[in-house]
Amino acid sequence: MNKPLRNPEIVWRVEKRRQAEVLKALEAGQDVDDSGTVILLQSGMMHQLNLVGGLIWQQCDGEQTLAAIAGGLAKEFSVEQTDVESDVAEFVNDLTMRGWLING
Amino acid sequence: MADVTEIFSAPLTFNWTLSYRCNFVCEHCYSRDEECPELETQDIKRIVDVLVEQQVPFINFGGGEPLIRKDLYEVAEYATKRGLNVSMNTNGWLLDDAAAQRLKDAGFKSVGISIDSSEASLHDAFRNMPGSYEKAVRGLDALRKVGLKSTMSSVISRINYQAYRELLDLARKHGVDQLYLHNFKCSGRGLKNREELDLSPEEWQAFYIEALTVKRQTDDLKISFDDPVIASLPEYQEKTMVKGSSCGKLSLHLRPNGDITPCGFIPVVVGNILTEDFETIWFDSPVLKAMRAKEATGKCSGCSAFDDCQGGCTARAFATTGDFNQPDPHCWK
Ligand code: SF4
Ligand code: SF4
Repeated sequence: MNKPLRNPEIVWRVEKRRQAEVLKALEAGQDVDDSGTVILLQSGMMHQLNLVGGLIWQQCDGEQTLAAIAGGLAKEFSVEQTDVESDVAEFVNDLTMRGWLING
Repeated sequence: MADVTEIFSAPLTFNWTLSYRCNFVCEHCYSRDEECPELETQDIKRIVDVLVEQQVPFINFGGGEPLIRKDLYEVAEYATKRGLNVSMNTNGWLLDDAAAQRLKDAGFKSVGISIDSSEASLHDAFRNMPGSYEKAVRGLDALRKVGLKSTMSSVISRINYQAYRELLDLARKHGVDQLYLHNFKCSGRGLKNREELDLSPEEWQAFYIEALTVKRQTDDLKISFDDPVIASLPEYQEKTMVKGSSCGKLSLHLRPNGDITPCGFIPVVVGNILTEDFETIWFDSPVLKAMRAKEATGKCSGCSAFDDCQGGCTARAFATTGDFNQPDPHCWK
């Protein structure tokens, strides 16, 4: 089973204040898909991940399987694990293709 | 990005002057008249702790000559162990093989050496230090030997603007990873010696048009310019994280006593990192807010480039006029 790991070359951080605001907006029923909460820095370029992407990213420590990551996310948003599994797999696959994750 | 603080809860880089002391007196130096008490090692480590807590990923030691502080290695090692990415800029005088090894062991990610001309005599005269060219080049080689990434910094001025290609060759020859062609700042000795050293706006324009083309054609060496005024050139096609000067947006500067200024060239203190709450400074400082939301003034009002250029280098405008919003004196428009 794959255990995705963040590329150690990438410098990243959770923008906590921003994340708190996005969570509030989400609770208020707003669409937060385009709001970045985690920034990634790679060779002078910055990329942003949205709330869900950022949460997945934070779990990619090389210890957790895709299923475990999906399980954690499902719990966070009170949904069924099967509902998020394919989204998690797609996201991890995308980031792996970009070289941001290893062993995705 | 409307205001960087909408996303960023802290800068990405702190440029950190541990000491203004230096063994050189260079013609362009901004900091020779600076005087500032220095902190004890334990207080410097406390600053590192604040930076870790605020999740600042990069620190770059400058100054002054960082290698003059005997505790540089200890501080760098402490910062590295706490997860920071540490680099520095030096004049290279003290950078022998043993120092290079110690820097590597302390965890430095890269070390930059200032070299202003590929002609030893010109470099030495500019730096007012006979033998400094040789030592700077030796420093680059020492870094290469221990496998530590080196960068080279050259401040563009009258002494080198027509011969910058030779700086590229020099960088290649000594295994440099990245060459910074810095824009001339009108601060400190740079302001005093401005007539002799600074280019005219038209000369800056011609220099950048050519240098940007050379950069595009070069793939074996990274070349960087940090001059926001070039954003008005059609030759400039880079995507940057912020528009205009990055000071106060992506980076801040620390003085030896822990005072924070937007950058090393803007001597306006916005707070102290040891005695004040950092988030209050970062989010609420009126000076930082003004720098992040510049108002087009003078010839900038109505200029179609303002969105990208933001009036150019804020430090230069401030040094020559005392007003952040004035156009960069290097602007050729
Ligand atoms: S430019 Fe650097 S090396 Fe030269 S005097 Fe200033 S601090 Fe020292
Ligand atoms: S006039 Fe102002 S905005 Fe226009 S290019 Fe010059 S500095 Fe930039």
